[in-house]
Amino acid sequence: MFTRRHFFKSAGAAAVSAAAVSRVGAASLPEAVVQTDARTQPPPAPGNGRHFNPVVTLNGWSLPWRMNRGVKEFHLVAEPVVRELAPGMKANLWGYNGQSPGPTIEVVEGDRVRIFVTNRLPEHTSIHWHGQRLPNGMDGIMGLTQPGIPPGKTFVYEFEAKRPGTFMYHPHADEMVQMAMGMMGFWVTHPKDHRFMQVDRDFVFLLSGYDIEPGTATPKVNTMLDFNLWTFNSRVFPGIDSMNVRQGDKVRVRVGNLTMTNHPIHLHGHEFTVTGTDGGWTPPASRWPEVTTDIAVGQMRAVEFIADAPGDWAFHCHKSHHTMNAMGHAVPTMIGVDHAGVAEKINKLVPDYMVMGDKGGSMDGMEMPLPPNTLPMMTGDGPYGSVEMGGMFTVLKVRKEQKRGDYTDPGWYRHPAGTVAYEWTGELAEPTRSSSAGGKLMPLKQGADLNLNVRKPSGHTGHN
Amino acid sequence: MRTIHWRAPAAACAVVLLAGCSTFSPDGGLDAVSSMTGARIGQPVSFKRDDAALRAAADAVLKQPLSVQGAVQVALAHNSGLKAALAELGISEADLVQAGRLRNPGFSFSRSRAGDEREIERALSVDLIGLITMPIRQRIEQRRFERAQVTAARSAVRLAHDTQKAYFEALAANERARYMEQASQATEASAELARRMARAGNWSALDQAREQAFHAETLDGLDQARLGAVAARETLAQLLGVTAGEGGFVLPERLPALPDTLRPLQNVEQEALASRLDIQAAKADTAETARALGLTRATRLVNVLEAGYINTSTSGEPRKNGYEVSLELPLFDWGGANTHRAEARYMQSLHLAADTALRARSEVRLSHAAYLGAYARARRYRDEIVPLRRQVSNEVLLRYNGMLASVFELLVDAREQIASVQASIDAQRDFWIAETALQAAIHGSGSKE
Repeated sequence: MFTRRHFFKSAGAAAVSAAAVSRVGAASLPEAVVQTDARTQPPPAPGNGRHFNPVVTLNGWSLPWRMNRGVKEFHLVAEPVVRELAPGMKANLWGYNGQSPGPTIEVVEGDRVRIFVTNRLPEHTSIHWHGQRLPNGMDGIMGLTQPGIPPGKTFVYEFEAKRPGTFMYHPHADEMVQMAMGMMGFWVTHPKDHRFMQVDRDFVFLLSGYDIEPGTATPKVNTMLDFNLWTFNSRVFPGIDSMNVRQGDKVRVRVGNLTMTNHPIHLHGHEFTVTGTDGGWTPPASRWPEVTTDIAVGQMRAVEFIADAPGDWAFHCHKSHHTMNAMGHAVPTMIGVDHAGVAEKINKLVPDYMVMGDKGGSMDGMEMPLPPNTLPMMTGDGPYGSVEMGGMFTVLKVRKEQKRGDYTDPGWYRHPAGTVAYEWTGELAEPTRSSSAGGKLMPLKQGADLNLNVRKPSGHTGHN
Repeated sequence: MRTIHWRAPAAACAVVLLAGCSTFSPDGGLDAVSSMTGARIGQPVSFKRDDAALRAAADAVLKQPLSVQGAVQVALAHNSGLKAALAELGISEADLVQAGRLRNPGFSFSRSRAGDEREIERALSVDLIGLITMPIRQRIEQRRFERAQVTAARSAVRLAHDTQKAYFEALAANERARYMEQASQATEASAELARRMARAGNWSALDQAREQAFHAETLDGLDQARLGAVAARETLAQLLGVTAGEGGFVLPERLPALPDTLRPLQNVEQEALASRLDIQAAKADTAETARALGLTRATRLVNVLEAGYINTSTSGEPRKNGYEVSLELPLFDWGGANTHRAEARYMQSLHLAADTALRARSEVRLSHAAYLGAYARARRYRDEIVPLRRQVSNEVLLRYNGMLASVFELLVDAREQIASVQASIDAQRDFWIAETALQAAIHGSGSKE
């Protein structure tokens, strides 16, 4: 839902600058449109300007514009926001126009674009238009190509969207802090010919990582790699919307990486090809089929595939820690540790203590109180129980009956009879096991006694 | 011994009649001690020569978990040191009675022969000096007797305070040992878990050794805490005058709760001035000196100021108690110097009394400040630190639930929470000890009695 507010009438941190700018003439500025909802907003067809096939920003939206004597005018407001990362957890972030990431900017190749950027942050900022061909002074590098935009001030960027493709925007002032706080947004420049590389569904999202201590809401901005929340568009599973498509649709997914590590993004049930990077469209002859593409730091990838296999297909980062949500990285492994007797002793001291982790990391659907504003480590229920995932995970839902242009969630896939894995109830032969670990190349000097340590699964006996 | 020969049987008879008026009191002076003590320790005390009833009541108290008042009651009934102080009172009274009696008249008969001459001498001797100095000696002995009463009362009050202090120490030491036991359970669980984790191949020998060393250290702390509890119990038992062993007495689990209201400084200063035994003694001394001054002025014959009691002690020998009265014949000195001296003595006594009062008020103020400080500290522990520690534990548990923290963090926190409860108990104990010290400053002879 958009809420339109006349930016300069609103009270707040920018009161001083508001007065200053309004004297110049508020009428010359486009409205700053604010989004209050974290759900995916289906794209409206462009109302004016050149036609294009709009993208769908996963758990996001596209920024409305106005045409001013042939120039497409946008108004971005950099400001503190509260972003719902998933139901049950909200984060104090910095973003644009009410959300983090900010709205997707969609323009058409050759468009003259004017972007007003108002800074309502407590410190200076700037915007770098990642990947664009533009005059050097519009590149947004504070100190190098422009002064910072001070708090309360509005700057204007203006350039021609020359090259079609996939881009993003983010600050290039106090960059580490501002990106750790969630300042970023997507940019798509559509080709002049809307039939060029046309697809039926075009999903876009940015990858970002946050380190938010359990029980808090503000990211730790000094964390370098040990983030505990890995997000698609500042959302974590189960808060990430599914990508709902019609069977047979040509689907494009564009992903930009603004974290500090690479992400192997993996799709189940289909092969895709990488058709674009932030450098442009890849030549068709250079493409090869993949089911995982690694998106390096500061890179963008557009992957395309025909969604011909009906079902609910997982789509996620293949670094398993990135599909966890907040977890204690220093927690020792408890697998196979006998708790008999000790558990009772601990219970005397800590009455609400429960043995966990001795059979693995699965929480077995246990529901225990957590610190406030904290998501369980592995969560999200599917039709067969807990999916035991978090973070960078969503589902591609391919349905025969999904209508063209319909992005609503069709619900769980109903598998045809006999197409779901099932339990074997017949006889089980004992498998033959190797007794010569180490082989001949580097034979062990001492006999391997590891077998003594292997605790064979024995059901649920002896545990609390 | 000065003896003069007395040959008048009629006069001797009069002396015998005079001497008969001094007798022993029915309570042996104990009633006064009881009332002095009772008013100061806040519970009725009844010392009797035959203290069977007192002991029976104390023994009944011993069957229940001991309250602080109960402990004082038992100590007053059983403590042998106090009994010795009370016995001293009997000695004093005997001296007093003795002072009111004349030495028995003596009769001597001698027969001597020098050469052929024989001499038979019959003499009846009467203690004339004793007769003349009797009122003075009686007054001195009366004063000694009163001092003995005050001393006995002071011993009783001091015993009450010492017992209270030892009582709180013993309770706190018990609680400390109990909490150390919990802490050692936490480290035992850590060490055992570490051992099993190492056995399962999940933990290194390094981590395991660390946990086990920690457990061993906690066990050492537990042993010390237990020893401390035994020592504190023994100290209390000595004051109570009963055995610390099985069946001696039972201590309650917890220290008494903090009071809701505190005693204001104004009240305690006034109370101390009215109640402190050293102030009372100083006042009595001044009054006595005043009386002596009057007497010296009146008689100029009897060296009353010299008639103070002798109280000398030589190391290795029993303390010498007694008094000396000297009678002068006014041949050369008509007593002018004595009067000056008596006046100076009187002034000295006045200044000493003023000094005692000043010191007493200062001590009470200091004790009161310590009492307020201890109260604030105990309350901070009770109302802030311990609840916050508990909150920390709850938060750690929430993190454990989310697999954000390990069971070891849970156990470390349990130990820390136990330590803060222990510190809270110590603060509570310190408050009650400060309260006892304040009582001592008000009612006894100061906090350093």
